[in-house]
Amino acid sequence: MSPAGCPHVNGFKVDNWKQNLRVIYQCFVWSGSAETRKRKKEEGGDPQPVALSRPLQAKSCICHMCGAHLNRLHSCLSCVFFGCFTKKHIHEHAKNKRHNLAIDLLYGGIYCFVCQDYIYDKDMEQIAKEEQRKAWKLQGVGEKYSTWEPTKRELELLRHNPKRRKITTNCTIGLRGLINLGNTCFMNCIVQALTHTPLLRDFFLSDRHKCEMQSNSCLVCEMSQLFQEFYSGHRSPHIPFRLLHLVWTHARHLAGYEQQDAHEFLIAALDVLHRHCKDDNGKKANNPNNCNCIIDQIFTGGLQSDVTCQVCHGVSTTIDPFWDISLDLPGSSTPFWPLSPGGDGSTLNGESHLSGATTLTDCLRRFTRPEHLGSSAKIKCSGCHSYQESTKQLTMKKLPIVACFHLKRFEHSAKLRRKIPTYVSFPLELDMTPFMASSKESRMNGQYQQSVDVFNNDNKYSLFAVVNHQGTLESGHYTTFIRQHKDQWFKCDDAVITKASIKDVLDSEGYLLFYHKQFLEYE
Amino acid sequence: MSKDSKMRATINQKLTEMGERERLKELLRAKLTECGWRDQLKAHCKDVIKEKGLEHVTVEDLVVEITPKGRVLVPDSVKKELLQRIRAFLAQHAT
Repeated sequence: MSPAGCPHVNGFKVDNWKQNLRVIYQCFVWSGSAETRKRKKEEGGDPQPVALSRPLQAKSCICHMCGAHLNRLHSCLSCVFFGCFTKKHIHEHAKNKRHNLAIDLLYGGIYCFVCQDYIYDKDMEQIAKEEQRKAWKLQGVGEKYSTWEPTKRELELLRHNPKRRKITTNCTIGLRGLINLGNTCFMNCIVQALTHTPLLRDFFLSDRHKCEMQSNSCLVCEMSQLFQEFYSGHRSPHIPFRLLHLVWTHARHLAGYEQQDAHEFLIAALDVLHRHCKDDNGKKANNPNNCNCIIDQIFTGGLQSDVTCQVCHGVSTTIDPFWDISLDLPGSSTPFWPLSPGGDGSTLNGESHLSGATTLTDCLRRFTRPEHLGSSAKIKCSGCHSYQESTKQLTMKKLPIVACFHLKRFEHSAKLRRKIPTYVSFPLELDMTPFMASSKESRMNGQYQQSVDVFNNDNKYSLFAVVNHQGTLESGHYTTFIRQHKDQWFKCDDAVITKASIKDVLDSEGYLLFYHKQFLEYE
Repeated sequence: MSKDSKMRATINQKLTEMGERERLKELLRAKLTECGWRDQLKAHCKDVIKEKGLEHVTVEDLVVEITPKGRVLVPDSVKKELLQRIRAFLAQHAT
């Protein structure tokens, strides 16, 4: 095995060899879609060699000696000959014609008959990779995962910094307590959730934040520092005084030593991070639609609101960005039951309906139910040109990578301020398909039975953090359960970290539920 | 070419033409990864390489060693599902 190629390719690397090799890849190894290539053919006068249409490719990719299409078909690189590898037909050809190189039509590997093995020539590998990417693009597959290959600079850095940290299945890296600086558990619990958000962790640990703020008050820099502290391997609790100070500076409404709402802190923190990240991209702070900062990439979803006029049935649609979904609970002053019929949510997500407990899916169904807006809230209908009664329905247009559900346990109505302790059961794995705007459209078009497409994994989520509030509205305490490894959970109670069981997590009351997409696609 | 291989070739052609072959390949890939087949064979590859020595092992060695094991280890459920898909496709596009 010679990773550097072999000397026998030199005979091949003459004249227009690169282009010829590309043609072979395009025509016989990695083909794009039938339409694109047919269209290319029809455009005519194309000086570039054109890939074959699929029917033609199917007909021509057979062994010239026995006609089989299986048996590891190889193509000679020096002439137009296809031969089986298994039956040695290509070997015979190579010997007779002294054509030393052939390409595997299945995987694109280059075989050298002199070396009697597959060889890996850097230039040819490069061409192979490029053609494969092109084909994937044409097929609509987009990017696929490829292993990381370090650059020269990265190799240098790795050599100069020989210390390595190995992540084993049971390691506790990333787990660190946080000292309570005086009712700051509302901040601590959110920090625990954020430092265990996989994508956010990867962003900060790979040093992706390039700060352009002049002062020392960049919250993103502080987060970066925080991640360094958490993943340093130190086990003593961390004292987040700098973070607290920055929060007070940038979110005045949270300043002071009183207990604050963890959910408010989460939104404020995401907001400040988002603003400070924007300075990174050099984009103007007052252009909310154009941001592609890490916060937006991870947390921002799109909520679709459809208002249907009851008279002309015209629908007016708006889509608003969101960082979290706030869900009403039964027992609050807004009525919860009855829920609208239809929608398999609960059975799909396997939640327990023991003793009639409300589930997260129930809350989501309620959130996405059509709501009659009543005669006192008539909407100006552009179809009727007058004020009419209407129904409004919310659905998810675009799901964020991290979905945060806020169970509205704190009631601050005019009459009373109280905490709603109703137990809501939530699942470890959540499928958001029933609540998508696209699902609603299918249901409206009469397609009730949504077949669970094996490839539609885009709406599946896994629970990775749960923030709980114990106590009353006046005096309470926040803690967080976080998922360290697949079935290993830990409870973070300020400075104290203890192992927790999945049962502990699922039996807890739940205030903020953090879910992470199970499958991530490249853009 | 025997009647059997002629039929095979025709089916293959139909599948390729309509892009179904690629789709089936992707489905198979996903299923075999899911059930752990890929990991099992990867481990077996490593054993073969250790046995033959990194400097001397060829791709052919691996193919010869892995292929029979790989064939045997494919779960029946996966075979059934693929077969079902192909049958359904051919029934749909029968000429």
